[in-house]
Amino acid sequence: MLEDFGAALAASRWPYYLIAYVFVGAIMVRANSVGSWIMGVIGWPIELAQKLAGHGPLPYLFLLPNLLVFGLFTFAPFFINIGFSATEGQSILFEDRAWAGTDNFARLLSDVQPDTGAQNREDDKFTRSVIDTAVFVVFQVPIMVLFALITALVLNRDIVGRGFWRSIFFYPVMLSPVVVGFLWTLVLKRQGVLSLTLMQWGWIDEPIQWLVDPRWTMFWSVFVFTWAHLGFYMLILLAGLQAIPRDLYEAAEMDGTSNWRALTHITIPLLMPTLLVVFVLSLIKAFQAFEELFAMQVSWISVVAYIFETSGLRGTPTTHGLGIAATAALLIAVFLALLSLLQIARSGRGAR
Amino acid sequence: MFNHKMAAFAVLATLATTASADEIEFLCYQDGNECDVIAAMAADFTAATGHTVKTTTVGYEVVRDQLENQLQTGSAPDLARVTNLGGLNQYYHDLTPYVDTAAWEGSYSATLPWMRAPGGEDKGVYGWLTSLTVTGPYVNVTMFEDAGVDLPGDGATWDDWMAALGEVKGALGLDAAMAMDRTAHRWAGPAFSYGAKFFNDAGEPLLVDDGFKSFAETFVGWHKDGLMPADGWPAGSGTQYRNAAPLFLGGQVAMHMSGSWMINNYASNISDFAWSAVPIPCGPGGCGAMPGGAAIVGFESTEHPEAVAAFIDFLAQEENAAKFASETSSIPSHQGLQAKGVDYANASPAVSEALKVFAANAGQSASTTPQAFTFQGYAKNFVIYGVVPDYITQAITGEMSLDDALAAIDADVAAKIAE
Repeated sequence: MLEDFGAALAASRWPYYLIAYVFVGAIMVRANSVGSWIMGVIGWPIELAQKLAGHGPLPYLFLLPNLLVFGLFTFAPFFINIGFSATEGQSILFEDRAWAGTDNFARLLSDVQPDTGAQNREDDKFTRSVIDTAVFVVFQVPIMVLFALITALVLNRDIVGRGFWRSIFFYPVMLSPVVVGFLWTLVLKRQGVLSLTLMQWGWIDEPIQWLVDPRWTMFWSVFVFTWAHLGFYMLILLAGLQAIPRDLYEAAEMDGTSNWRALTHITIPLLMPTLLVVFVLSLIKAFQAFEELFAMQVSWISVVAYIFETSGLRGTPTTHGLGIAATAALLIAVFLALLSLLQIARSGRGAR
Repeated sequence: MFNHKMAAFAVLATLATTASADEIEFLCYQDGNECDVIAAMAADFTAATGHTVKTTTVGYEVVRDQLENQLQTGSAPDLARVTNLGGLNQYYHDLTPYVDTAAWEGSYSATLPWMRAPGGEDKGVYGWLTSLTVTGPYVNVTMFEDAGVDLPGDGATWDDWMAALGEVKGALGLDAAMAMDRTAHRWAGPAFSYGAKFFNDAGEPLLVDDGFKSFAETFVGWHKDGLMPADGWPAGSGTQYRNAAPLFLGGQVAMHMSGSWMINNYASNISDFAWSAVPIPCGPGGCGAMPGGAAIVGFESTEHPEAVAAFIDFLAQEENAAKFASETSSIPSHQGLQAKGVDYANASPAVSEALKVFAANAGQSASTTPQAFTFQGYAKNFVIYGVVPDYITQAITGEMSLDDALAAIDADVAAKIAE
């Protein structure tokens, strides 16, 4: 082992730096216990910085790593996206992309295609994906919030095997969206479990393409998406329920209040801030619905699927596809940002 | 004569390498064993020239989705096996200064233009088409026998075939009779047969004409009549590609409109019924099939232009092309070999029979529907492959009238290829 250490010393310089670092720390530190002595030896640069600059800038130092990661993976793509929406061409390099101004907005939204002067098809596709997504959201969000609430209320009671039931309902959240998609494809495809079972019972004569049939595809999209995400919102609501003081219920019970009245006059009002968070979070999540639906190959196109396909980053790149997709993404981002602001404003008012 | 040429090549190559021995990076994808065969041939190349080839085998999606971005950002390999032949033209490394262009023109004149820039000015030599693929139908022979229906013979039209398939469907109680991969690449052949031209006299894409319309009507009708399955084209959304092979493998349909690249897959995966490739059905416009293929091309960004050229030239030599065709059971793009025929020593009778049928399909298509070769050589054909299924599907499901769908195809293609 000593030989290894010697070899490491000979091979590079960092062991010397490490020794010097610890040495400086050992000289500088004043401590009255072993634990704080060790921390002092390790953390002397921070203490030194505090002595020199005071406590003011310190929080920013701790924010820095997160800010770097956040900047790299959230802000940078956001600005790149804005860049793509204002330029045109097939390349992903800005030096090869010509300035387009608002052309991509026209390509996405106007009735007349600016390049060909003929009728535009892109606006129809985009509008349709927005409408389909809106239908999905309008059904999916209330249904999920309602069922998450019911589940949370039931699992908040003192029932047998409560922990088991909670984990059962939370389980789908831990599955990868792609796994969820494939799992339900096995049930819902033409030769899937559902069609075969219903046929065996004599309820239907021919197998139904649950995911492809236009009458069923939206229903099953809502169903599977709710199934996959219910547990997460149930957990938030459960936490909200447990934060309601017990003595309120005890006082109500003494006054002979019925259970229904306790629910509508105590539980729901006190749960409102949590419900609002759940509502807005699930709204944003529903607008972004993609992975499960893509894996199930449903026969409608969500806005995210539209952006994904149009961008040409997968499959066929088209001359203006990347710019059009970036423009669509920008519009959706602005809309979702408004939703988030609404939530912040509402919950802020509640807190005051 | 082969040995003579080979020896001369080796000497030349050895002379060239005394200067330097480079390592070149080759990005490859395979439907069967193509990359393995090339990697084995690369060993001979190294022995002859000293240059080494580092082959990386990836899925087709990696080449399709990532290669162009790599090329744009300057992080691409030295050479790759690609299918978007015309679309990547701007990145190609021109081999003209390094190879015997007259010999290349002599052997590959039919396929070299596919890799060139549009307009006919470009005379560059950019790559070697590893094999020629051709679209065409496979049939489940067992089903035809069980139903007591005879296979339509040579020169039969699509109408004859669909009538026969309808009988098979009725006799065996199938859900559908014929499946087609969801892309206009498979759709184009039959459309040519119905008289679709796809291009105007100036060589610009003009998709919707009488022939195109006539086939679109027929095609929608095939879905209405239940001859084509609901889990084929109608099950896809947007420009999405769907492979119909599972329907054929699963015995749900009696015909799969696919192409010669499926031969080896079917030969190794079908054991419970007899299958065969059949001559491409005809129509008033001829007997249309789409030719195509994957090519090994070098990129301009390479730091070893000479080694890249030497490797591609090595593979394109007649004896190497013959070896590749024989070991991968594929149709060679080398015109001399096409005329002479390849000895498929390792192939089963079913495979070599199918290869013969597809080679004949290519010939039929070349003589009766030359627009197939124009379409294959068109740099933006990939855009059209996706747009056509997008709207035809909406006509099938009734979301749009057929006339609207056809108008939409014209408008959308024009917008997507506009510069």
